[in-house]
This record gives sequence, C-alpha cells and structure tokens, in this order.
Amino acid sequence: MNQRDIELLSAYLDGQVSPADSAKLESRLKTDPELESVLRDLRAARGILRKIPVRKAPRNFTLTRQMAGLRPPLPRTYPLFRLATVFASVLFLFSFTATALSPIFSLTPPEQSYFGMGGGGGCEEPCGGGPMETAPMEESAPPAAAEQAEPQSAYAEDGTRIIIESTPSMKEGETAPADGLAPETAPQPTVQEEAPVSYALPLIFLVISIAGGFITWGMYRSAQSKWR
Amino acid sequence: MDETALINSAQQGDLNAFNTLILHYQDAVFNTAVRILGDDDLAQDAAQEAFISAFQSIRSFRGGSFKAWLLRTVTNACLDELRRRKRRPTTPLEPETNDGDEMESPKWLADSSMTPDQKAEADELEHAIQHCLDALPTEFRAAVVLADVQGMDYTEVAQATRVPLGTIKSRIARARLRLRECLRSFEELLPASFRLDGESA
Repeated sequence: MNQRDIELLSAYLDGQVSPADSAKLESRLKTDPELESVLRDLRAARGILRKIPVRKAPRNFTLTRQMAGLRPPLPRTYPLFRLATVFASVLFLFSFTATALSPIFSLTPPEQSYFGMGGGGGCEEPCGGGPMETAPMEESAPPAAAEQAEPQSAYAEDGTRIIIESTPSMKEGETAPADGLAPETAPQPTVQEEAPVSYALPLIFLVISIAGGFITWGMYRSAQSKWR
Repeated sequence: MDETALINSAQQGDLNAFNTLILHYQDAVFNTAVRILGDDDLAQDAAQEAFISAFQSIRSFRGGSFKAWLLRTVTNACLDELRRRKRRPTTPLEPETNDGDEMESPKWLADSSMTPDQKAEADELEHAIQHCLDALPTEFRAAVVLADVQGMDYTEVAQATRVPLGTIKSRIARARLRLRECLRSFEELLPASFRLDGESA
C-alpha cells in the first residue's frame, strides 16, 4: 500500500476514477484485505465529515450601502458644477497671483526711471541706484534734459503708463540742481504706484468658486438625505 | 428564489438582490469559514469580508454555480487570514521523528496538552471533528472542507483553491487519511453510528 493507492481509493470513493481503473481497483479490493480496510476507513472519515453539524450563521451578513461602497445617485449636473467650481478656483488663484505680482513686474527699467527723475539724467549707464546716487551728477543735468524728450515720446508711443504730471517735475529737475534738493524731490512722481491695480477679476472668480462649492455640497447632501 | 434574476440584478448594482442571495448562502459561507479557520470570530470576519468582496466583483461572475463561486471567495479570505496568522510564531503542525520523517501518528494529533475540561468539551462530535480538522495543514483542510463538508466536486475545489486537479485529489486523500487516524483516537467519544469500524456512510 503506497500513497498512490490511497489517492486512488479516495478518488474511487468520489467516483473520480476512470471505469478501467475502477475495475482494476475493485478486483484488487477483493483480494487485498488491507486495501479494503483503508477504503473502509476513508469512507468512514468522509461520512463523518459529511455529517458534521451545520452551524447556523450567528448573525446576518447582509451588506449596507456603506459596506458595499455604494454612493448616492447624484444629479447629472453635479459633475458640471463640481468641474466649474474647480475651474473657477484655479482661475482665481492664477488671476489673484497675477494681479498681486503685476506691480512688481511692471516696474519700468532703471534707465526709464532715471529719465523721469530729471536731476538724475546724468546717469548714463544703468547704475541701478536711487536718487542718492544721482545727486552727484548734477553737473550733467543739462545734457540729461536734452535727452528727456526722447524717452517721453517713447512712452507715449508704447502707450504704457505715463503720468504726464511727471513732465513738470522733470522740468523742475532742470532747475532743481541749483538748490540741491532735486535728487530727493524729483523721484516723487511715482509712476507705478499711481497706476490702479484692479482685483475685480479675481474677486469674480472667488465668488464663483465659493458659490459653486456651496451648490455642489448642497446637491451632494440633498442626494444623500434622499438616499437614506 | 430566482437566483439568476437576483444575480443579474446584483450585477447591475442592486444591493437588495445581493442581500437576498447572502441570506440564502450565509450559512454555507459561514460554515466553510468556521471549519477552515476553527474560530467563530475569525470566521464571521472572513464571511463578511467575502460577501463584500463578492459584491464588488460580482460582475466578473460568468455563470455556473454561484454557491461554488461564493465558497471560492470565502476560501480565499480564510487562506489569507491563515497566512497572516502563520507569520506569528506557532507550534509546527507536522513534527518530525528523530529520523527526520514526518510524524503522523495519532499520539500527536490527539492534543496531549488538552486539559480534562477541554477533553470534556471535545466530548462532542463537532469538537472532535473540528479538533482533527484544525490539526490538518491549511491546504489539506481547505480541500477536505470544500469537498466533504460542502460537497463540492474535485473540479470546483481545484478552481476554488487554484491548484491543479491532481494536487486536489492528493490533498483530499491525505487529509482523509489523517482524519481517519485522528478520529480513531476520539472514537470512544463518538456516537455509535460514527464509529469508524462500523461506519458505512
């Protein structure tokens, strides 16, 4: 008796043996008492297992919607509102950032600002300094005044933010070096500061995103309450 | 109960239809789990997990025996649980003799560490059988539970456990052989109709 015989006997019990093998096994069983004994034991073990008491489930295993991972059916417009909310939020962030940073990026280059300073006209190279640095250059003011005509007209053509009032200051700048106060008073025409920065667009996007958020949240809550 | 209609509805997401199927099969699923795991609490968890998994994957059911499909799901859940438990240090199920051979004698299968109280508890058919089932290696236990307790055929057992048919035949045979030896040691506890000598089921 080997393992193969035991497997054969077990399969024979379950009717999993071919007719030819079954016939061979039956003839062996008639002559081999040990084989017959093992078959009897295997049958007994199987019979006991088949008669093992059936346990009743101690509780119901029915699933709730949450357990099943189901979600309430949402209105068809829900994804649209959600997408619009996200889109408006992104636009708000972009527009707000752009608006907030626009004064920094719209600063005129140093050369241009010096032209507007009147007394600082002597700074022929981009020295990057402020009025204090231009103060010692008073002697070169007249040539600078001569150059003022060109930048002023250039601004006008570009349509950039130019405050015409700065022109009188430049004119004053011609005389300013005489009293020595020109370097400090000339920068007063703050061209960029006076330009209006509008937050209207970011505000609109903010309102849309908040309203969209409330609407989508309300739709979800409403669908959930109906679903329960 | 129109099982096919309920399955179709469940595949469309009808939870009520699936719950009806659960109520019909929960005893079979729980019994399979409790025989493989040998613990009520773990079996309940495995059964619940199996039903959740079954609902989430019911669209993959392509016909055939729904009960076999469910039992395959719960068997997988049980085997996963046993693998988790196996990572913890346990007493080896198959001690070896001094010669290095596998010891299959009923002396070790009949738990010598059992107290008199435990033996008194085991004085019931169910406890005796469960004790012997628990002593089997996991793969053998799953195969014999599906084949003999749940009455699945070899092909269904092979599909449920995802092992070749020949392996299933071998596992069932060896499991029955070991159970025979184990139950022999409890024979005096068994009712007369379950005595191995006179059994003719």
